[in-house]
Amino acid sequence: MKKDIDLLKKRNRKRRDLMERAGSTGLALSGFIGLMFLSVLVWQIAVPTFIEGETGQIEPASEFIPVSEYVLKWDHPTVDDDGALIGDPVVLELTWDDGGTERTHSIAVTVTSERNLREDIVINASGVSTEAVEVGKKTKFYIQSSLEVPVDIHQASGPVPAADETGSPTVSSFVISADVSVVVDDGRFVSHPLTMVAWLMLVFVVALLSFPMPAVLSAMEALLNRQAAVRYTLYGLAAGTLALAGFTLEAWLGAGCWTMSAVGINRTLQGMERLKSQGRDVTQFDRLKHSITNREGVLMWSRMLLVFSTLFIPLLIDVPFLTERYQDIFQPYASGIRSAFFGTIWVMGIAMVVSMPVSIGAAIYLEEYAAPTKTTKLIQALVTNLAGVPSIVFGMFGLAIFVKQGGIGLGLGPSILAAGLTMGVMAMPIIVLASQEALRSVPTSLRESAYGVGCTQWQVTRDHVLPSAMPGIMTGSILAMSRIMGEAAPLVVVGAAALVLFDPEPLAGLLGGNKGFTVIPIQIYFWTSEPEHAWHSMAAAASITLILLLAAMNSVAIVLRQHFRKRLNS
Amino acid sequence: MSEEIGGEVVPDSTRELNIDGELDIMIEDLDLWYGTKQALYGVSLPIARNSVTALIGPSGCGKSTLLRTINRMNDLIPICKYEGTITKGDVVITDKGADLVELRKSIGMVFQRPNPFPKSIYDNVGYGVRLHHQPTRDELDAIVEKSLKRAAIWNEVADRLHDLGTSLSGGQQQRLCIARTIAIEPDVILMDEPCSALDPIATAAIEELILELKKDFTVVIVTHSMSQAARVSDYTGFMYLGRMVEFNKTEKIFSEPDQELTQRYITGRFG
Ligand SMILES: Nc1ncnc2c1ncn2[C@@H]1O[C@H](COP(=O)(O)OP(=O)(O)OP(=O)(O)O)[C@@H](O)[C@H]1O
Ligand SMILES: [Mg+2]
Repeated sequence: MKKDIDLLKKRNRKRRDLMERAGSTGLALSGFIGLMFLSVLVWQIAVPTFIEGETGQIEPASEFIPVSEYVLKWDHPTVDDDGALIGDPVVLELTWDDGGTERTHSIAVTVTSERNLREDIVINASGVSTEAVEVGKKTKFYIQSSLEVPVDIHQASGPVPAADETGSPTVSSFVISADVSVVVDDGRFVSHPLTMVAWLMLVFVVALLSFPMPAVLSAMEALLNRQAAVRYTLYGLAAGTLALAGFTLEAWLGAGCWTMSAVGINRTLQGMERLKSQGRDVTQFDRLKHSITNREGVLMWSRMLLVFSTLFIPLLIDVPFLTERYQDIFQPYASGIRSAFFGTIWVMGIAMVVSMPVSIGAAIYLEEYAAPTKTTKLIQALVTNLAGVPSIVFGMFGLAIFVKQGGIGLGLGPSILAAGLTMGVMAMPIIVLASQEALRSVPTSLRESAYGVGCTQWQVTRDHVLPSAMPGIMTGSILAMSRIMGEAAPLVVVGAAALVLFDPEPLAGLLGGNKGFTVIPIQIYFWTSEPEHAWHSMAAAASITLILLLAAMNSVAIVLRQHFRKRLNS
Repeated sequence: MSEEIGGEVVPDSTRELNIDGELDIMIEDLDLWYGTKQALYGVSLPIARNSVTALIGPSGCGKSTLLRTINRMNDLIPICKYEGTITKGDVVITDKGADLVELRKSIGMVFQRPNPFPKSIYDNVGYGVRLHHQPTRDELDAIVEKSLKRAAIWNEVADRLHDLGTSLSGGQQQRLCIARTIAIEPDVILMDEPCSALDPIATAAIEELILELKKDFTVVIVTHSMSQAARVSDYTGFMYLGRMVEFNKTEKIFSEPDQELTQRYITGRFG
């Protein structure tokens, strides 16, 4: 008997170990694949010029067609401050066979700051008309040959140009910039000093609440009599940050950091006071920990805020690519995603505001209140199925309901508001299901103990079930948000634009104004469909931005989940 | 009357329900079903005020079920249906329109497995009080302290009141749950095997506590320990297969029970 059980135990352990190994290997593998993927993206940005130097051939002119033509397009020379081309000087070499002897002609390329759209180069029996050409933005060389032999063209020196997408030499894109610095490196600290200090303060508070720092605690003892002063100073700083840094996102986050710090420090001081009144050593963290009111909760919110404001790149480092530059149709590398970035933030914000309260409410109703009638079962089935509906279908739905006028349409037009509502609708079933799952995982014993002290159903839900389920609900909602953040398909249907050179106006759909908008996935989509490689690099940069935003949101979700787990385990 | 079930003669629920003291709660002819499965058969039980009534019987005989009908906890189980009446004074507990909040306020419950709220120790005890009366912070502090002292746990938690209740040991959690229950000053406390998760020392502490609580409260306790029932209770009901086989004063049950079934159960010659 015992032997059998030992055997079973052994087998179970083996199976468990196997699962564990499979799980960790899977994780490692997916991490590895993720890293590979990221490095490929980085590579795309870092090395935007590809393949080989430009070569081509001008067809011989014939009796019937006296002149053959070859067009070279020079997209985007990158210049330094003095206007000189970065990299080796570019030289084009033309070679042809002149009755047995090979003739070569070099054309030096220099850069002009003027917009120079056309340079004509003529080749005839006596030679080539031009020794040097000037290129500006989007210059095209029209090379005409009246020779009866083919003329070979290749680039003899200078930065290597990109090959044409089709491989056809007729029109080629010269991209002479391997200069990533344009995109990323000129990020600089533009945060208001107050928000920077607020952020540092929050770092301090998280440290204060997390591990023993006796020296700091004994220094803080001096503040014990001035609790109110400390508190109002910090609140004042929060208000000051808003006033001085303007009511920007950055300022709001900064004010949040100050307020959170105020709460953390205040609670710590109160805890110290309590210890002191018991005649205990206030610098002993193990004791202090227990007398800080709701230390866990304060710590959780502080950490979340910290993660969010740290990963929220524009707060600390302003990257012109994100927050200053619009798309520049002539110069990929001078383009940015300002419009798409703000578009994404607005769309997500609206989606969150419309979907979260409704969905969480629906989940609570379905889980806690609704009697299991046929109707609720039907609704449940519908919700479950909706979560699997392809996103493009939600796009069609948004088009019919939000964009179009007349019938059931609200006539918001292809605007941010319509897009946000569409995305919100798409997120709803996901949030409902995740919230239901979270509510269901609240143990019955908790409900029983709450009813046991005489709670009404609403009190049980509000005070016990919801707080316990909240981390799960938040995690689910954030994951739903990050899913819709990466969606392009529904917004293509709703009518996001390819080129938006202004900041989106969130309420344009209602109040009138400029409705055009775009979001990051849409920008990526349109940029990848451009033929020129430079745009592909920009698309890669935008993708990395999107991934970083997702990482920021998921980190918040992870912090929440971690906290939840710790609480259940203790 | 009696019925033969699985080779065992099981008498119908007893009608001999004599108590000395003042009647607090009366359960009459309670039938209860989980779905189609009947769990209680015509059970009647008087509960005397300021006394300890123990429910004993083999596992699955319906002790918890009976206890949970007294504060209508079974209402939370959708498939549970019952017939019969439970009265407390002139309040009919089983009435459809009964005020469940008032009911559960006056009939507190300590569950088989300790289930503190995932809140601080302070809030665990203070929550119900805050809900029903609106105490000032100082009043609440005093009530929390008094309740924790009465539940014999104050010394262990006095300097960690803001720790999570769930971070205590099992025995401490159970005493915290008792403190939570007595903090709202109910009349009756229902305890479902409160010592099943505890070591002998904690068990002794709780038994002492029960005897102490009896002065102010009416206590109904479900227990698997014969000796515990004998030590703490004034009345004992023996249940078997959903029937209240015998009810009487504890001394009587443990010295000369009327039913042979009871005799066999308390002497451990069963099954
Ligand atoms: N939620 C439920 N759904 C269906 N049947 C139930 C439910 N709860 C209890 N029962 C059934 O009702 C009967 C009585 O259960 P109850 O929990 O009252 O027994 P008990 O005497 O408390 O046993 P124990 O000493 O093991 O706690 C059992 O047969 C059990 O299977
Ligand atoms: Mg039980």
